[in-house]
Amino acid sequence: MIKVTNISKLYNAGRPNEFIAVRDVTLTVSLGEVTVLKGPSGSGKTTLLGILGCMVRPSSGRISLGDREITSLPERFLTQIRRETFGFIFQQFNLIKGLTALENVMIPAYPTGERYAPLRRRALEILELFNMSHKAAAKVEWLSGGEAQRVAIARALINNPTIIIADEPTAHLDTKLSHEFMVIVRQLREGGKTILIASHDPIVYDSELMTSRIELRDGRVINDGSRS
Amino acid sequence: MPHTLEKQRHILDFTLASLLRRKGKNGALFTVYTLIVFILASVMFFTYALKEEASLVLKGAPEIIVQRTLQGRYAPIPVEYGVKIRGIRGVMGVRPRVWGYYYDPVFLANYTIMAPEGVNLPPGSIALGSGISRMRRAYQGDTISFTGADGKARNFTIARILPEESQLLSADLILMAEGEYREFSGLPPGLASDLTLKVKNPKELATVAEKIVKILPDSRPIIRNEILRTYDALFSWRGGLLIIIMSAALLAFVIFAWDKASGLSAEEKKEIGILKAVGWESSDILFMKFWEGLVISLTSFLAGTILAYFHVFLTSASLFAPVLKGWSVLYPQFQLTPFINPGQIATLFFLTVVPYTVTTIIPSWRAATIDPDSVLRS
Repeated sequence: MIKVTNISKLYNAGRPNEFIAVRDVTLTVSLGEVTVLKGPSGSGKTTLLGILGCMVRPSSGRISLGDREITSLPERFLTQIRRETFGFIFQQFNLIKGLTALENVMIPAYPTGERYAPLRRRALEILELFNMSHKAAAKVEWLSGGEAQRVAIARALINNPTIIIADEPTAHLDTKLSHEFMVIVRQLREGGKTILIASHDPIVYDSELMTSRIELRDGRVINDGSRS
Repeated sequence: MPHTLEKQRHILDFTLASLLRRKGKNGALFTVYTLIVFILASVMFFTYALKEEASLVLKGAPEIIVQRTLQGRYAPIPVEYGVKIRGIRGVMGVRPRVWGYYYDPVFLANYTIMAPEGVNLPPGSIALGSGISRMRRAYQGDTISFTGADGKARNFTIARILPEESQLLSADLILMAEGEYREFSGLPPGLASDLTLKVKNPKELATVAEKIVKILPDSRPIIRNEILRTYDALFSWRGGLLIIIMSAALLAFVIFAWDKASGLSAEEKKEIGILKAVGWESSDILFMKFWEGLVISLTSFLAGTILAYFHVFLTSASLFAPVLKGWSVLYPQFQLTPFINPGQIATLFFLTVVPYTVTTIIPSWRAATIDPDSVLRS
């Protein structure tokens, strides 16, 4: 369970371009749920997702992961939590160009010091899950949008995280590929993963897979947890 | 420990892949870096090898040379001085030497003419140093003309060319029979250019020299070690001079390295953001940058050093020889024996690898502290 209490995030504090991305948000994400954060651009979805995923430090408020208060943990511990607990799927996929699909999948596991052979085997198995093992040796810049996203999902799963976080995962996909993505979300949910998605794509937030929908506007939660 | 090693191996693997992905930037850095190491290593190798060579050659030189001074300047020495010197305790033998310089106005070069005792040359013949032979295109059997002290030209037959091995000393050398040389140079009988001494105990050299000055106040004894020290100082000075000139290049390199290492492209920044977002710690990024710096600096160091080795010991330092060997027109053509001092390699390492590493620490730290959420906001 991730719980955030009275969370606010202020960017560029004290400067002329200061703005509040998230204002006084309190919410809880339970394990095993598929939660979508919906709202227009600039509503604070991505920032809130970053805070929930221990990637962004809030300016005020508290965050708990399970029974553990993690708000003021040093960067090093937050990184460890991020690596072990969360798998990230970014809007632009954010794969590292020049490297192969397999290498990209393995990258989050490098700091764990796992031996190369079993790590490689595991990465190939995950790629196989998404029918991508035949592209393992291909450089990521040669992949299509759908293939690149499947590699990004495989990368998010390499450290076997409990929670998958996806930021606008269908923003660069056509309708067919967006539906394919939702099929993968279903697989992940069936595999026991907790999933948090920020999206303003109806294919995602109207999907029957969503167990919780949180609507944001101007950094505030305007509709919390319409459960399906 | 295996866990840590494996982690470092992964980071190193990633770093090598990253370096290969940015061939242009890293290739330029590697090239400039290698060039700097090459220049510094060439100067160091060459100066050291030359000093070693000179000291080896001088090992066979006389222990003391006695010259005469007149009005504070060098002057021919009376042969009879030798008799007085021979009387000093510890002096085993005294030999007069007859030699001098000859300026060739056509080739603007100075030659050394020697008339060694017992030189085996037919009348009217000389032995010619390979440098002069090469320059004047005069070979065995040819006739060569020199102008004597009386202004008259004299023809000599070249009996032989001096062997190449002794080029450092013999490139500009002409050997002549003593009588012919005296006639050619105008050196009267009873005078010699200098006297060479053999001393029984090397520890007594300074004492013998003192005694010579006492008996013959117009004499100037030169101990072999003094010559060695002069060579050492001369070559170190020239080497140092070149390094000072090159320090401008070194500074330019530091600026270049700083620029290359600190000027993270948008793509690199994004990549570091991705790595941090997916779970790499700042220390992992620092390690990555450390490996990157080490790979570049070590490979450049090795490449530069190896190139310098070939340059100095196989091509006789063709690029810097004019500055380091001297200003003579007759540069000896010889291959130096590879003498390498481990201390020099260590100095070179600290002159190149350490400044690079230090220069790139701050930019690396800046790169390592990029916020992971920069990936989300991009």
